[in-house]
Amino acid sequence: MDIGVFIQILVWGLYAGCIYILLAIGLNLIFGVMKVVNFAHGEVLMLGAYAAFWIYTYSSINPYLIIPASMLLIAILGVFIERLGFRPIMGTGKLNEIFLSLGLIYLFQNLVAFLWSTNSRSIRSPYGEVVVPIGAIKLPLDYLIIIIFTIVFIIAFQLFMKKTTTGRAMRATSQNREAAALMGINVERMDMLSFALGSALAAAAGSLWLISGQMATPYMGSIPAIKAFAVVIIGGLGSIPGAIVAGMTLGIVENVVPLLMSSLVGILGFEMSFTAWKDTIAFFILIIVLVIRPTGIFGEKGE
Amino acid sequence: MKLDRLKLDRMNLKAWLGVISLILAFLIPIISGIDTYLLTVLILMLVFIMYASAWNLLALSGQGSLGHAAFFGIGGYTSAIIAKSLGLPPLATILVGGLFAAFIGVLIGLTCVRLREWFLGMVTFGFAVIAHTITAELSWLTGGWDGLPAKKIIPVSVQNYLMYEYYLMLLLTVVVVVIIWMIMKSRIGLAFEAIRENELEAKVMGINVTRYKLMAFAVSAFFTGVAGALQIHHFGYITPEVYAIDISFLPIIYCVSGGLFTIEGPILGTIFITLLDEGLKNFGWTYERYIVIGLILILVVRFLPKGFVSIPEKIKSRLKSHP
Repeated sequence: MDIGVFIQILVWGLYAGCIYILLAIGLNLIFGVMKVVNFAHGEVLMLGAYAAFWIYTYSSINPYLIIPASMLLIAILGVFIERLGFRPIMGTGKLNEIFLSLGLIYLFQNLVAFLWSTNSRSIRSPYGEVVVPIGAIKLPLDYLIIIIFTIVFIIAFQLFMKKTTTGRAMRATSQNREAAALMGINVERMDMLSFALGSALAAAAGSLWLISGQMATPYMGSIPAIKAFAVVIIGGLGSIPGAIVAGMTLGIVENVVPLLMSSLVGILGFEMSFTAWKDTIAFFILIIVLVIRPTGIFGEKGE
Repeated sequence: MKLDRLKLDRMNLKAWLGVISLILAFLIPIISGIDTYLLTVLILMLVFIMYASAWNLLALSGQGSLGHAAFFGIGGYTSAIIAKSLGLPPLATILVGGLFAAFIGVLIGLTCVRLREWFLGMVTFGFAVIAHTITAELSWLTGGWDGLPAKKIIPVSVQNYLMYEYYLMLLLTVVVVVIIWMIMKSRIGLAFEAIRENELEAKVMGINVTRYKLMAFAVSAFFTGVAGALQIHHFGYITPEVYAIDISFLPIIYCVSGGLFTIEGPILGTIFITLLDEGLKNFGWTYERYIVIGLILILVVRFLPKGFVSIPEKIKSRLKSHP
């Protein structure tokens, strides 16, 4: 196999990994603070992509500048999901959260399909043609921008959580809700904030995906979200470093393994494509990890 | 004493309602004549009543599967392949499909016994995706994306075959629902509930949690496989579409809206939602009807956590508190 192809696939994996990481951090944050899992997180990503698409269509400024606006809109939506959906059913059992999320998935996907049809939408990135030559290989500039964006988001997020009073209050809430409430922290506001932040990160992921050349459809969110859940579980519930490591690993592995498999089979003299298996790799890893460690690799305080 | 009488009366009422609805179900083809559209809708509804009841049985043990389409599809493919290659009648191969689904169910259950709610949801969902890919890739056996033809349960050459099919499905549905009801009422069902309420306590009480959880998986997967096989022998073909995400989610919607952990909940939920869906479809609604179904699910979880079956109870307590 050509080493250039290999590196290009590695970068593609890194790029996919960024999307999983942004989703997984949001899920981890919400789970940490509220101990709730929003299975409709992928639909939040989808709505973020649509928000970016419509803002771009009506303003046609540089799409990368739209991302904050899309994040803000979806953060507000996140607050509504928390207030109207998850807060009222908190403490009524984990299964109810799953059922509520299913309802949200049906609602959002079909609302978007109803309003804006199932046609796939795309944004033409201003840097779509630009490639950065690194040695012998050429990388699309958009991929690099996304990787940089993700790094910036992660650093900003960590600074927020570690250095600001609000961030500390959120961490306190996720460590011990009762104690945090007794210390005068408004835990319900932290719930709202965690949903707003988590949704905003999903919107960032959706917008970045759309700008880098992926199509927006009402169903675009389900597969990345499911993989993000796998990333969260593999990395350990509530562990941000775990999510980063697992997200990167999954992005790279699911792109490299099919390639390795087909070249392996090629050595044996067969011609076979394993690209169809790409979406199953996350689940194979997930199942193996959970069989060995039911709380995930880095998970200490798994629910 | 009085309370016991009251309970007995309610049981009687339920039994009477069951008998009346069965008689109605029996009379439908006689009243309406052989209406292909109506009978097709009803046959699929019966298939999904079996399927939703089977999902409900697994949920009774505290295991909410998000990937039951795996068993639905495995039952269907097994039955279709065996019926084709061995030339057996579908009624025999349906059982084989169910048994193979149960076998896979135990294997999947083994990976799930130690998992909490949404981990389990993810893993079962993952198995449905994996089953989908395996089926599509094993094209020499499964026909790949084009799928396979499947024998009709009742040959099309028989006059009014759809009516016979309907009665056959009705009979099978009654059998399946009664078996599931008996399991739910037995010690096994009680053990399931004990595990769902508090796994540790159940263990302390001497319940073999792992064995009962696997049993729930096996029985639920068996009836799901049977339902899947029945559906594809009704359609006359099978494609990897049987593993679609919707197929995994529909029984959940039916059970939750009707009433989880009860025998009549999945039945009522399936009837209500399929009729609503069918009605809205005839109304020309496409995406709107899924919006409606999503909203129903959200509202039920929020305001009616015990499902439609709890409506009479709710009204009664409302009347009592506001005379």
